[in-house]
Amino acid sequence: MTIKRITFLQELLAFMGLEGRLHLEWISSAEAQKFVRVITDFTEKIRALGPNPLPDYAMAARAFGSDFPSAITIGDADERYN
Amino acid sequence: MKDTIKQWLNEGIVDLFIGYKKVMEHPLPHCFTKANIEEVDDLIIGPSRYALEKIATHISALKPDIKIGMLARDCNQRALSVLYIWNQLNPENVRTLNVNCCPSNLSKHGDCSYLEPETPGVNKQLVGMDNTVDPRDIEGFDQPQRLSRWMYEFQKCIKCYGCRNICPVCFCQECSLEHPELVGTGALPPEVPIFHLVRAVHMAGRCIDCGLCEDACPVDIPLRLLYRKVNEIVRNVFDYETGSCDNQPPFSILGDKATLEPKPLMRA
Repeated sequence: MTIKRITFLQELLAFMGLEGRLHLEWISSAEAQKFVRVITDFTEKIRALGPNPLPDYAMAARAFGSDFPSAITIGDADERYN
Repeated sequence: MKDTIKQWLNEGIVDLFIGYKKVMEHPLPHCFTKANIEEVDDLIIGPSRYALEKIATHISALKPDIKIGMLARDCNQRALSVLYIWNQLNPENVRTLNVNCCPSNLSKHGDCSYLEPETPGVNKQLVGMDNTVDPRDIEGFDQPQRLSRWMYEFQKCIKCYGCRNICPVCFCQECSLEHPELVGTGALPPEVPIFHLVRAVHMAGRCIDCGLCEDACPVDIPLRLLYRKVNEIVRNVFDYETGSCDNQPPFSILGDKATLEPKPLMRA
């Protein structure tokens, strides 16, 4: 069930433009080295992707009321996240 | 068709028939009964559509044994099949009369309110999401564009719950979208994109692509497009065709006990 849902969610988030930020792994309590490896790899991956872009949208929305913030147009988003 | 409905009602094949009637020049869903059989002459069939099976679900929740007849397009039929699977309606108590729907080789003329979707304006095409495109076209955008365009659409949401209220396959007693710990209630604008993603996840294996949510949306969020993608994932990953499979979707556990094999289906 978990793998079904996570696989589905990974695809959905990718469609939304948030790919690579969700990872599922089975690690037993006896697999300390695997745990370290998975966490290190994922941390590196997330660091490379940069901070979560969603709070920017939320903050901009609060600052500008409910209007779509002019601060985040596609051009700006390109510069910021590329 | 009107004769068939009258015959059904008179012979007691159905206790009531759900169709459309023109009230003050507006085609509205209407319940035809044997007691008011002359009303059947006012039945109209046209491009207007509504989730008639949702009305049927509400009625049969109150009176489980009542026999219901209804007009059905292809989308109504798919919704009915989902409702049967989820035990919301008993197939033995539902009779349908098929009406003209999308144009095809057999019928050149189509009757559906969705046949001519509006072309989006310049700004929407520039920074938003074109409602009329295919999910594959969205994947053509790069990642920041996809996020930005979806966020543009989601941030328009006024949280009217119209998409949920019209949805023929939304039948839960308790809705996650009203759960104070999942989605903040009473606050506007809604938390995006969580609000829409919660609904999208719940549409997996359920959405029958009728497009009524998008018809109902006052701010024109391309919900049909989003749910179409959701079910494309369900089809590609789990080989489940929503609306035409006769078993429950892959996210449900069937039977008295969990019978899931502990194997990864696909590593992403």
